[in-house]
Amino acid sequence: MAKRDPFSEYHPLVCFLFFLTVILMGTVVRHPAYVLAGCVASGWYYGLLKGRGLLTMLLRLLPLLLLVSLLNPLFNPRGEHVLLRIFGRAFTWESLCFGFVTAGSFAQTILWFGCYNTVLTGDKFTSLFGNLIPALSLLLVMVLRMMGEQTRKLKQILHARSGIGKGITEQNSRREKLLHGMTALSALTDRALEGSIVTGNSMKARGYGCGRRTNFHSRRLRVGEWLCLLLFLFLLALTLCLGGMEAEFEPVIRTDPLGLGFLAYCGLLGVPIVLRIKESILWHILKYGI
Amino acid sequence: MAHIEIRNLTFTYPGKETPSLQGIDLCIEAGEFVLLCGHSGSGKTSLLRHLKPVLCPHGKTEGSVRLNGRELSEIDGRTQASAVGFVMQDPDDQIVTDKVWHELAFGLESLGTEQKTMRLRVAEMASYFGIQGWFHRNVSELSGGQKQLLNLASVMAMQPEILILDEPTSQLDPIAAADFLNTVKKINRDLGTTVLITEHRLEEVYPYADRVVVMEKGKLLANGSPRQVGQLLYERHEELFSALPTPARVFYAVGERGQCPLTVREGRSWLTERFPQQPLPHREPKPRESKLSSEMALRLRDVWFRYEKDSPDILRQVELEVPQGCLYAIVGGNGTGKSTLLKTLCGICKAYRGKIELLGKPLKKYSSRELFRGCVTLLPQDPKSLFAKKTVREELEEMDGAPEQWQAMAKLCRIDGLTQQHPYDLSGGEQQRVALAKVLLTEPRILLLDEPTKGLDGAFKITFAGILRELCQKGLTIVMVSHDVEFCAEYGDLVGMFFDGQLLTTAEPRQFFGHNSFYTTAANRMSRCLFDKAVTVSDVTELYERNRKELGS
Amino acid sequence: MSNRKRSALFTLLCLCILIPTTLILGSRLKGRWYYLTSTLIVVEAMIPFFYAFEIRKPKAGELVTVAVLAALAAVSRGAFAFLPHFKPVVGIIMIVGIAFGGEVGFLTGAIAAFASNFFFGQGPFTPWQMMSYGMGGFLAGAVFHRSWEKWEKKKLFPVALGSFGFLSVLLLVGPLLDICSLFTMSSTLSWDFAIACLSSGFFVNLTHSLSTLLTLLLLGKPLLAKLKRLQSKYGIWER
Repeated sequence: MAKRDPFSEYHPLVCFLFFLTVILMGTVVRHPAYVLAGCVASGWYYGLLKGRGLLTMLLRLLPLLLLVSLLNPLFNPRGEHVLLRIFGRAFTWESLCFGFVTAGSFAQTILWFGCYNTVLTGDKFTSLFGNLIPALSLLLVMVLRMMGEQTRKLKQILHARSGIGKGITEQNSRREKLLHGMTALSALTDRALEGSIVTGNSMKARGYGCGRRTNFHSRRLRVGEWLCLLLFLFLLALTLCLGGMEAEFEPVIRTDPLGLGFLAYCGLLGVPIVLRIKESILWHILKYGI
Repeated sequence: MAHIEIRNLTFTYPGKETPSLQGIDLCIEAGEFVLLCGHSGSGKTSLLRHLKPVLCPHGKTEGSVRLNGRELSEIDGRTQASAVGFVMQDPDDQIVTDKVWHELAFGLESLGTEQKTMRLRVAEMASYFGIQGWFHRNVSELSGGQKQLLNLASVMAMQPEILILDEPTSQLDPIAAADFLNTVKKINRDLGTTVLITEHRLEEVYPYADRVVVMEKGKLLANGSPRQVGQLLYERHEELFSALPTPARVFYAVGERGQCPLTVREGRSWLTERFPQQPLPHREPKPRESKLSSEMALRLRDVWFRYEKDSPDILRQVELEVPQGCLYAIVGGNGTGKSTLLKTLCGICKAYRGKIELLGKPLKKYSSRELFRGCVTLLPQDPKSLFAKKTVREELEEMDGAPEQWQAMAKLCRIDGLTQQHPYDLSGGEQQRVALAKVLLTEPRILLLDEPTKGLDGAFKITFAGILRELCQKGLTIVMVSHDVEFCAEYGDLVGMFFDGQLLTTAEPRQFFGHNSFYTTAANRMSRCLFDKAVTVSDVTELYERNRKELGS
Repeated sequence: MSNRKRSALFTLLCLCILIPTTLILGSRLKGRWYYLTSTLIVVEAMIPFFYAFEIRKPKAGELVTVAVLAALAAVSRGAFAFLPHFKPVVGIIMIVGIAFGGEVGFLTGAIAAFASNFFFGQGPFTPWQMMSYGMGGFLAGAVFHRSWEKWEKKKLFPVALGSFGFLSVLLLVGPLLDICSLFTMSSTLSWDFAIACLSSGFFVNLTHSLSTLLTLLLLGKPLLAKLKRLQSKYGIWER
């Protein structure tokens, strides 16, 4: 099992705001240093969460990244330094660099989303929005529950149909495969709708619709979480106010010089990683005594 | 003042002539444990639902239902929701949310309970029901028994005064069912919650109930203590008598009158009282006619199976031989892989090692069309998974046989009157028989049944067994996986025990159950101190009478 | 103020104020502003639907039907394990839209997309996918909801449904998803790149449209009958 991740246990609000910010910044900012920092931070955190999963993820991303970075210059001939000409179109150095940056920001978006999926599971999401949108978050919880249930029922139906010689194999024609799938789906619909009546009754029997609902899992932020949130917002404000994240690629590459703003941005990105390191140091101190 | 007071309750479904409930009068005191029994369609469920207005079926209702002296329909929604807890039959579909903790909290959330109170109550419930260990799990990872326990706990979290249970254990295996019923008893005993329960597996609940109410065709047939009702059912030759606990059935069958024994312990002391001098002249029941063929319909040698490359083996070196034309029953605990064994037998799950022969020909040599047309077929655990059409008739026609063929099959399975109905409008027993008919239309020579008696009431079981007998006489070989020890003992020709991926001992039922001490029928547990190998009610009755005659004369 | 009026006002607010403001502010950003801006607009366009559902305080029956149908759409691909590129999802969502109206169709589609991404992983495409599936349901509802019971008896009804599904997936649902990948993958916006992106998605969209066509053709009528039975039985989604 993966090690405990302290950031994952923080209040979902903190996690949600963090991911919202880093993903949005990641898609907008095109300063190479910022993009690189984003890639490193997202890859690092992804590695901490998933261990060796990072490697498979990178291997899967690589061809896509290459495609993104090479395709862009093909469609964008602007730029001073022409590297080569393909069918009369200029393939420029500036445009290639821009392609790399785009690929980088694409990569970090995917990686941040990968972390998001591990950290903000369905129940955290609904507990976060349970008070704001009670009906929708309950709806989401129910869909998640029913998807599991219906996958199980679908499997039962497919097996049952094989058992009476109505199954399907690779040898069957496409038409047969299609009709088989449709019958199974129609059977599943009947079963699912039948089951939903019971679910509805069970909700009514337990008082759904009596009045305003409360939320079991919503909780207030702890002091530590407040501090983390404030620090995070402070860093964000610094990054935005100090600026220095502009970059131009055409006709020539021109980037803002790096300054305090970049440091603040790095600090912002590093919040979950720093928390993780802090935690493990604290444990060592606790365990071996001072 | 009675806790619940039902006065002259009459209810008619829309579009029906005869009412489903006719002038019901019933009073239930606080803290009572009341068992409501009757055949499917006797109006049990309609009656229970009238105690929970939000679940009340549409239709015309007359009469009154009072809770603590107040008309139920006048009580506000919140009080109704929390005061009357209702647990239904299906463990899966009752669950609303995807996490165990959320499900426990659902009712309290709906009532708008303040968070502090809610947390305390949920913690209380989780501890009382022993749910702490799986509090954070996904609901889909739970077993059927755990799911039903969760349903009970999430109703109890609302602290109801009355707990209503509508056939809560019919989808569970016997061990999970016993666990569940013990929890219900504990709630009744510890918390004083009034319990109103319907069941068709009466062996467990019947002795515990304070009162038994029997319904028939929408009317109350009997209402009294378990012993009184037992006697009444016997005297009136009601079909329901066959659902009573084994000791009571033996007691009346041998002609005794008066206070009948209800539990195995009582049954045993009654028997030893009757036969003080031992050993008895006759200890073993007359042998059954053995008619096992020497030809094997099914043969397994060293069969292994697992789902994934890295997952544990489900079947480990299974050896099995089933003679032609016999009913072979496989018993064993839950999750041991019995259903997987059936799927492996017919190639739905592919064994990775070992030999499987059907009718003398290796499984691998069959094309899938040959295999499932005229050779083998599988009736799944849940008959609903076979239904895909709008009427029973269309279901049967889907099997592309001639009209005479499916009509004959409908007659054999006793569903010829139901062909115009929607399969989902039928009762559990009828659905089971429609599924059986559909499966039999492939004209199999080997029939595989997965838990065929699950959720069937006593009368349906007898009909079902009759059909199976008829099929066996026609030369069909039946392999059945079941938890239902009583059913296997009564109707099986051979019984095998499945445990830990292997098939242990195979023997004929008397031999098999006669040697077990836990995993055996109530008749055997009750009579083992006097008789050997008496595993059914009729075995015990027969031995009792023979010995009485010999000793008496 | 009645719920309908409140929700209409809210929709107007979103369409006339929120979205233009986002567009103006977004275009003044430097860097790759177009993904952020367009995604924000997509999200804002969905809000009125969600708001309407939220303030109607859905009954247990309504909540359960949307949930069960969204889940059904999300798992429906599993029935076609032997046809790897067959995607019946949008077809089912459209049927829901036809039976219960455009708004319910939208909601079912959006929730189905969102929930299934909890299993397959959320990504930058999530809002777009929600929007495109939702739009499928919404359009189908807008076109057929009021009249399908009249046309149902006609022989060509399934064909009409199917061709509608085919066209709307080919021209709207599919391209919406392609636009998302255009925005996430391109460094600058150019017509060339946009055309290349949309045309590279053409065959995927074509198979998707064909799946939708077949789903509506084969499953449309029976499923509509089932949903109608459910609706009359529980009295849900009545106007």
